[in-house]
Amino acid sequence: MKHPFPSLQRWHRFAVPLVIALAVNGGLIATARADDAKPAATSPAPAKKTLTGAELYSIHCNRCHPERYPTERTAAQWKTIMLHMQVRANIPGNQARLILKYLQENSGR
Amino acid sequence: MMLGLAAASCALGVTIPAPVAAAVSDADFNALKDLVQQMNGKLQSLAQTNQLDQQVIQQLKQQLGETQQTAADAEQKSAAAVSAQAMPRVPLDEATVNHNFQILGDAEFQYAKGDGVNGAFMLADFAPIFLYRGGDNILFEAGFDFILQNNGGTPNTVYDSNGDRTTVNNNSGYTTTVNLSFAQLDYVMNDYLTLCAGNLLLPLGTYSERSAGWLNKFPDSPLAVDLTPGTGVGAELRGAAPLGDGGNLINYAVYGVNGPGSADGTGNAGALDIAGGNVGLRSDDVVANLHGQPSGGARLALFMPFKPHYDLELGISGQSGEWDNAGTHLWSAGVLDAALHLGANFEAKGEYVISRYGSDDLGLIRQQGWWAQAGYRLAGLNLELPGINNIELVGRYDSLLDGFGNKTERYSVGYVYYLTGALLFEGDYEFLHSTDPTQVNQLILQLSYGF
Repeated sequence: MKHPFPSLQRWHRFAVPLVIALAVNGGLIATARADDAKPAATSPAPAKKTLTGAELYSIHCNRCHPERYPTERTAAQWKTIMLHMQVRANIPGNQARLILKYLQENSGR
Repeated sequence: MMLGLAAASCALGVTIPAPVAAAVSDADFNALKDLVQQMNGKLQSLAQTNQLDQQVIQQLKQQLGETQQTAADAEQKSAAAVSAQAMPRVPLDEATVNHNFQILGDAEFQYAKGDGVNGAFMLADFAPIFLYRGGDNILFEAGFDFILQNNGGTPNTVYDSNGDRTTVNNNSGYTTTVNLSFAQLDYVMNDYLTLCAGNLLLPLGTYSERSAGWLNKFPDSPLAVDLTPGTGVGAELRGAAPLGDGGNLINYAVYGVNGPGSADGTGNAGALDIAGGNVGLRSDDVVANLHGQPSGGARLALFMPFKPHYDLELGISGQSGEWDNAGTHLWSAGVLDAALHLGANFEAKGEYVISRYGSDDLGLIRQQGWWAQAGYRLAGLNLELPGINNIELVGRYDSLLDGFGNKTERYSVGYVYYLTGALLFEGDYEFLHSTDPTQVNQLILQLSYGF
């Protein structure tokens, strides 16, 4: 069957997944900004349990390899490694920062 | 007689006492005697009391001495603690924090013995990874593989997996091969999206991204890994976003790369080059894709942690694009991947891979493979035996249909002994069932270090 838009045929295999990725990302950013702008609720909402850096460390940091001890690296080294792990292990930025804070506070170096 | 006595007394100096002028009555004497006796008793009592007091004084002196010693010790310890107290953290130099270079990576040394071949030691891999962070959200990462291979000594008659005779070098010494396994620039655009560009580790399944030797738990890769490219030159958008507050994540990636190529430019089935030989700079120094269109791919996955050390990840990924120079045939692949952790001691994971590509000579080639492996750390048995907590028993099944009529099944059983968290002594025995005569049972021992 002939492609309805021949000039776009070569890009069709990218279009759908790219649009999905950008839409998800745009929606997430818009949601984050909307939450910041939302007026205060009239009744107190139940407190959200936010995972701590230590909890996120124990969730993510032994999925592929044995856990590495915070004392193995300096604070600056952990910052580089966490950027590498954020990409490689697909960790959202806010969770990566919490893990990094935990590692740096406990590195003792 | 009396005078005589007096005279004798005088001689002896004894005087006859004169009668006492004042007499002490018996009552007074007795009273005085009683008083003396009382005083004597009191004196004895005082003496006893004094003795007891002296004992108490001695004890108090001893306690005082001990107290003084304790105080002195405490003072010494306090002084030592003050001197050992961690210095206040000096604020990190921003120039250091925002520009940091590190070398990570791994190295593997093996002894392998296959049926019908001699056992040998081998530097299986030396794979350093360079990380350079140029800010809070910019990272350049590159990985290399250093491999040693004989230049000669192989028997003249050597057959490849297609049953064709191949030519071999017959020189002395050895060759050091250095492969740039990946090199990419990562720009973290926001918490949920990262742009990657370069020679990318492709998110087809998870093995190629998370397969560094010391992470694998087996000395070799699953058979099905050969069906898909582990890397590709191009660009990628990837990231993760939370689903709720419980730690669940959705992972996504979409990418475009030059794609597989043809080793000889033709569309013959045996010419497919899946190993990343289409890097954009041709062998005649022309910058061009070998074929007319790039390939595209994507991965979508869910990561669900139930609690620390308990999680499930499910993913689906795929890639499609031209592969032959003429652009008349597509190569496509899909991967299902899964990983499960149940506690700190149990892990199971696997992938199912299918691929299809058209060819000039053999038509549509269908390939498929899958692998599943599990590991259990004996620390979970809570046995009081030396060294047992460092042992993990592992097993893997993998199979491959290469699309040319060859089927291979492999059963691997082995162990990992954790000398440390990053220094592993692994071993496995692989039972091969294959229509390919070059696939044989083998024993592999490996010392692997992640640094």
